[in-house]
Amino acid sequence: MLLRRLSPLPFVLLGASVLVFALPRLTGADIARTVLRARVDSDVPDAATQARVAAEFGLDGSAVEQYLRWLAATMRGDLGLSFVTRSSVSVQVLQAVSVSGVLMAAALGLALAVGVPAGVYAANRPGGLVDRVTSAAGIVGVAIPEFVLAPWLVLIAAVGLGVLPAAGWGDPRHAVLPVLTLSAYPMALVAQLLRSETVEVLTYEHIRVARSKGLTRTRVLWRHAARLSLTSVTALSGMFVAGLLGGSVVVEVVFGIPGLGRLLYDSVLARDLPVLQAATMVVIAVAVVGGVVVELAQLALDPVARRPRR
Amino acid sequence: MRRPVWVIVGAVVVVLATAAVSGALPDPDAVDFSTILAAPSSGHVLGTDQLGRDVAARLVAGGRLTLGISVLTVLVTGFVGIALGLLTGYRAAAASRLLLRVVDVMAALPSVLFGLVAAAVLGPGLPSLLLAVWVVGWTPFARQAYQLTIREMAREYIEGAVSIGAGRTRVLVQHVFRNIAPPLVAHGCVRFAGTMLTVSGLSFLGLGVQPPTPEWGAMVAEGREYLFVAPHVVVVPSVAVVLVAAAASVVGRRLERHAARAE
Repeated sequence: MLLRRLSPLPFVLLGASVLVFALPRLTGADIARTVLRARVDSDVPDAATQARVAAEFGLDGSAVEQYLRWLAATMRGDLGLSFVTRSSVSVQVLQAVSVSGVLMAAALGLALAVGVPAGVYAANRPGGLVDRVTSAAGIVGVAIPEFVLAPWLVLIAAVGLGVLPAAGWGDPRHAVLPVLTLSAYPMALVAQLLRSETVEVLTYEHIRVARSKGLTRTRVLWRHAARLSLTSVTALSGMFVAGLLGGSVVVEVVFGIPGLGRLLYDSVLARDLPVLQAATMVVIAVAVVGGVVVELAQLALDPVARRPRR
Repeated sequence: MRRPVWVIVGAVVVVLATAAVSGALPDPDAVDFSTILAAPSSGHVLGTDQLGRDVAARLVAGGRLTLGISVLTVLVTGFVGIALGLLTGYRAAAASRLLLRVVDVMAALPSVLFGLVAAAVLGPGLPSLLLAVWVVGWTPFARQAYQLTIREMAREYIEGAVSIGAGRTRVLVQHVFRNIAPPLVAHGCVRFAGTMLTVSGLSFLGLGVQPPTPEWGAMVAEGREYLFVAPHVVVVPSVAVVLVAAAASVVGRRLERHAARAE
């Protein structure tokens, strides 16, 4: 069971690695030349320098040779040197991932802490106050992109109230606005999905049985209804992972946070290919592995899904 | 009318559209250094930006681009995705399974990633923006169309159609597509909201439409430096983005529910 879910992973990652490796070659531009341009800002490097740079970055030999060399190095955790700064890409990526990890975990935690109770309580009393507030906030939360929410929050918190810093990273006060911004979309999504799922689940037979057994309303709502509806929400986890990863690019750029999204963005602007490749590979890996992890969480929650399907 | 908000929104859109058509709005690119970052007034209904350009005029011009790109994208990717979804749903084959795996993986990736990579390959601009949203855009349509097709193919009338000699094209277009069109249109509405947020988001990051061309996301990015002195430069285009996205997703949801009820 577990093996079946995990078995496609290596193929997906290997396929992605070929694409990521090929990407800079698709530009058609001479990479050694691009490096030199990034470094010295000159358009006409001499041939000798160009050859030396090509050797330095492992750009000599055939494409297959280059790919295998790159893949072997990547497996060893050696992601090469940045074209621009000549510092180790692995170190940069690791630092960035640790920052983004904190940011995304905090945002997801906040989104679940607010979104889950909001969705379940809204479903418990459709048309009630909680339901109306949740559905209105949900519509706005899904429609409001990070690049809009971020300046609005800055305007309100940093300028209007003067309590929080508008940008930066380091002390916990810096994290408040980015986490709020990043959590809006998953929060709204969780609340909306959970509400509609729970409303449906509450009409099921086993809920009526549980109630007629004399269980309290709260216990039935959480143990019997919410648990089931949570499993169908985790099935849509890809949306959360993708949303958080994508959102963190904008959030990190806007708030000046040295995370993975920011690294990716800067590498595109600077045409720093090793960094771009490494960061892209990490994002793909996180998205794909994250999807599997949540799928396993779904199995833990839902006894029916654990049974093999036909 | 139970929701007065949407009436007001509709009225604002109509007024702006009429003003744009009748030529009452100034040139969106006309620079005027005597009125920089001016607050809304009778001369400039929504104020001016850092170069003294009329924000209302830029809002309308930018909307034409933001919304135009999004509509075009939904049409193109919808066509491709639905066609692939119908074909994969028609008969289970190894190729279909592979395609669905690709769809699954791509759906798990953030659309911004495609924008970043496309910008790295082509250089930031309209072509890279279109490449990014077109490369991913078809996947949700394909998945939706595939699931609906599978369900529809199991129905008896399809068997009937096949038994009287209807071929693949006839079955898929005349029978399956006609019956699964309503939920797909609803899905298109929801996708329009998502696409618009991606388009304006990438332009905000400077990876899509380039300034000085007005585009809602790019307008927010340009105005961000003046957020504290002239918040209206940021607020006007960002309110437009949120309202259109919210309206499209509300309409899409309602259509989805309607289509589900008609089943």
